Amino acid sequence: MQRWTSQALALSRTDWKRADLEFEGVEHDGASFVVHVFLNNPGADDATPRTAEQRYAGYLTVFAHGDCWGDVGHCDIPEPVSAFDRRPPHPLIPFNATLEITEALSALPEGTSEVTVTALAFNKNGDESGVLRFKELTLLTYE
Amino acid sequence: MTVTAPPAPNAAPARLKIRKNINALSAQELTDLRRAIQQSMALKDKRSYEYFAGWHGVTLGWCQHHDALFLPWHRAYLYWLELALQSQVPGVTLPWWDWANAGTIPQPYTVAQADGGENILAKAPINVFNAVHQSGWPTETSRAPGEVPQTPAPPYQQEWANAMKADNYADFSQRIWSVHDTVHVWVGGTMGQLDFAAYDPLFFAHHANIDRAWRIWQAAHPGANPPADILGQSLQTDPAMTVQATLDVTRLGYEYAGTQSTVPGSA
Repeated sequence: MQRWTSQALALSRTDWKRADLEFEGVEHDGASFVVHVFLNNPGADDATPRTAEQRYAGYLTVFAHGDCWGDVGHCDIPEPVSAFDRRPPHPLIPFNATLEITEALSALPEGTSEVTVTALAFNKNGDESGVLRFKELTLLTYE
Repeated sequence: MTVTAPPAPNAAPARLKIRKNINALSAQELTDLRRAIQQSMALKDKRSYEYFAGWHGVTLGWCQHHDALFLPWHRAYLYWLELALQSQVPGVTLPWWDWANAGTIPQPYTVAQADGGENILAKAPINVFNAVHQSGWPTETSRAPGEVPQTPAPPYQQEWANAMKADNYADFSQRIWSVHDTVHVWVGGTMGQLDFAAYDPLFFAHHANIDRAWRIWQAAHPGANPPADILGQSLQTDPAMTVQATLDVTRLGYEYAGTQSTVPGSA
């Protein structure tokens, strides 16, 4: 299991109706994996109950490609060779994953102004790192 | 060639083919499905099951995931495969696995023996189309439910309901691909690896249910289409099909139904 805890995300308003966590630039070139997410619970681990009391926010799964099966360079994401390169996007281009956390975020104590996100990521290999790889995490609230 | 599904002028109305819940298939329908897949697998040309399996990952890699093309691409994929199977056994359709309500892989996909031989729906050979088998490639399909620890198991009723509550295409697409990913990862084995998943016939029952979900959601949200700027886009299939052409399943000749009962008319 890989455990990752974010820096604090600001929660500056309370008049929102929906909240999303957006994992931007998720890599999906390895083994498939599942991620369980807790809010303001950096000590959460695989034995932590996934309950509202533990500030469990939900899960996302990533159906990934597995090992590269082609020749050398097959799984490298190429740059367009020219401005006229109309080939479809490479299958391994990272994607953005959204997890709606409206219920979990609204259950945090009144006056909460900062949120940390703890993600527990599991794959079939039991890897402790490199399971969940992504560029940025954003907390979005919608009025 | 790009298919844009033009109307057939002066054509007699054709009856839509009905895709059914796998558990609602008769013994004969199950036999027909297995026979269509087996016959298709025995071919070595572009009519073969292995050719179609190769569209998704090894070796062609045409599939679309985690974006607005996910639903249209897979609808087109199932459409072309279903036609190929119907060329083998007329009338056969792709059944769906209702993982929103079923807690296990359906029994027709798990029993080892069927029709006096090995059940092709339970385990299938992997003979990659037009390619030399490479070291590390699996030679037959496998499944390992729960192999990724802590993966939620079916039924996925809540996830289905959450997707159905979406009021726009982007939200629906994202929510349904999310549970789609969960089903793949939970089944594990071949199904858990994107590049080989489609070699397992269970893949198509899973995706028929995804397609069915879109159909149901579409019926409840008329006009809630993918973004306008991708409607004219060609999906990478053989032959290609536009996103627009995938929007109406009845124009593709099929529909989803829980039951079907037909009686003769009057002369």
